Amino acid sequence: MWKIHEGSARHWMIRLLGVAVLAFVVVWIPTQMSSSRIGQVTDAFILMIAAMSLNLVLGFTGQISIGHSAFFGVGGYTAAILIKDHGWSPGYTFYVAAVVAFVVGCVVALPALRIRGIYLALVTLAVAVLFPTLVRWKKLAWLTEGSMGIDSVRYEDVPVWPILGELKGREGRAVFMFWLGLIIVIVTYLVCRGIVKSRFGRALVAIRDNETAAAVMGVNLTTTKVLVFGVSAALCALAGVLSTLKSGVITPDGQYVTLLGSIVFLLVMIVGGAGTLWGPIVGGLVYVLLDNTTRDIGTNDSGILGTLFGWADQSPATLILGLVLVIIMFAAPYGLVGLAKRLSRKVVVVIPRPAGTAKPS
Amino acid sequence: MANPRGATGTVEFVNTTDSANVPLLDVSDVTVKFGGIVALDGLSFSIDRGTICGLIGPNGAGKTTMFNVVSRIYEPTSGTVKYEGRDLLAVPAHGIAHLGIARTFQNLALFPTMTLLENVMVGAHSQGSVGVWRAIARIGAARENRRIRDWSGDLLAQLGLARFAHVPAAGLPFGTLKRLEIARALAARPRFLLMDEPAAGLTHSEVDELGDTVLQIRRDFDLTVLLVEHHMSMVMRISDKVVAMEFGRKISEGTPDQVRNDPKVVAAYLGADA
Repeated sequence: MWKIHEGSARHWMIRLLGVAVLAFVVVWIPTQMSSSRIGQVTDAFILMIAAMSLNLVLGFTGQISIGHSAFFGVGGYTAAILIKDHGWSPGYTFYVAAVVAFVVGCVVALPALRIRGIYLALVTLAVAVLFPTLVRWKKLAWLTEGSMGIDSVRYEDVPVWPILGELKGREGRAVFMFWLGLIIVIVTYLVCRGIVKSRFGRALVAIRDNETAAAVMGVNLTTTKVLVFGVSAALCALAGVLSTLKSGVITPDGQYVTLLGSIVFLLVMIVGGAGTLWGPIVGGLVYVLLDNTTRDIGTNDSGILGTLFGWADQSPATLILGLVLVIIMFAAPYGLVGLAKRLSRKVVVVIPRPAGTAKPS
Repeated sequence: MANPRGATGTVEFVNTTDSANVPLLDVSDVTVKFGGIVALDGLSFSIDRGTICGLIGPNGAGKTTMFNVVSRIYEPTSGTVKYEGRDLLAVPAHGIAHLGIARTFQNLALFPTMTLLENVMVGAHSQGSVGVWRAIARIGAARENRRIRDWSGDLLAQLGLARFAHVPAAGLPFGTLKRLEIARALAARPRFLLMDEPAAGLTHSEVDELGDTVLQIRRDFDLTVLLVEHHMSMVMRISDKVVAMEFGRKISEGTPDQVRNDPKVVAAYLGADA
């Protein structure tokens, strides 16, 4: 076992190495991969952002929300309406979507002040079910265009960023959306990290662990819960905007706008590791990877997989995906990051900085 | 931590503070009803600054209910509670920490997934000011973290818990966690500490040690203490004043000796004929 002290030169070297490897991979993907692969990574980014936002509410604060697909939809529709009806430049819609979703999130948080656990799950589930219905409502069709959804809201011409050079056509758009997605992933990560490693973040975990004790310590349960729901909704809306800009359309049946979206966010967060900063990031990547691989396998009906799954009328892709996820959860009940932490502790232990004003002896 | 008064003993702190004539806590005529059950029935008592007040009584006497009224978890049906002359019942539950009131819990209410250090840091919540926006923008968050982290580390060291600082609270021995409760309560820099059965579940030697710890922290932190306890020998040893309760009413009040010899108290504990 290898012991390193937090903040020592060696510790910084390891961190730096990690960042360098990540940076290399991140530059390698858009320069070397096909545009369809790049698009899949951007899909992973969208899931990462949504799962990170859910993680704030559920992983850290312990408030169950199955309503995040609604926040995702609020973001997507805000962007689409602003671009289509008001001719906004797509880039600015991120800010407005975040503010609108923040307000919606604060309102949805109100039930969380009185109920908890499975009952809160049901109320947020109602929000998730309600949102697509609301969007389809005839009296709102002037705004949301009903079941048809709003289309052609993608970037007409990708803006020119000096560092990326001029990007043209489908490939150019894929590369641009990759970088835009990456920026939002980083922003979301930094927001979550800032929150978690602060007095506010400690209050969140305190609420998760013991609400009564948290209140006695001076944590204002009302404002803390309302704010965390608001910030989480705002971040989730960013994922919604990104998704809308990438596909160019948003409909009430859209991939993550329905209740199914909430379930996928939940799955990504839990597979990656709830209550960890990197969990949703790992989860998003793994989920998209598995989803695409199983889809490829599902279309291949020869060989052993054909024998195993050939009886199915439809593609067995979701079945295989489900099985793999069950196996992951069995092997890593605290998520992949939880498993990685447990295993790495056997190899290397980071000794935290001593706390206190006394000089260590 | 330095001893602000440089002296030991239990009585000399009575009436030494400036506004000595106003009791720190003044409970008057408090009644709490849960449906048809009267948990507290017109209870009145007061605690002077710098003293340790023991609250005793058989099981179900309403001691913990009294406690939860002062820490604003229960709303009394009637009566008033004044703290430093102001109406405590107008303060929300999360506001009492900011007034300098801290408490420990009878059956441990720690944060199990957090390390001991983090538990104490949450205890210092009222000592910080970084909210969600400053946390996101990182304005002063790092400096506040360092300050609170050091303060919490010092407290853990003082209560002999330094070597467990980075261990999660879940799974540690009960006696250790009881001390952690005290460290976490002290992190709020309280002037008034409520302790709910701190000796429950401890071994004999641990109880003796706890009594000394309570006297020690009272001295070091200039505290007033309300102590709810079954452990008679400890209460009688460290309290300046004892209030005895039965069925939600006060049956006796006075110095430990007076209460110990009060026939009503003896009867409550040993049965009416004793």
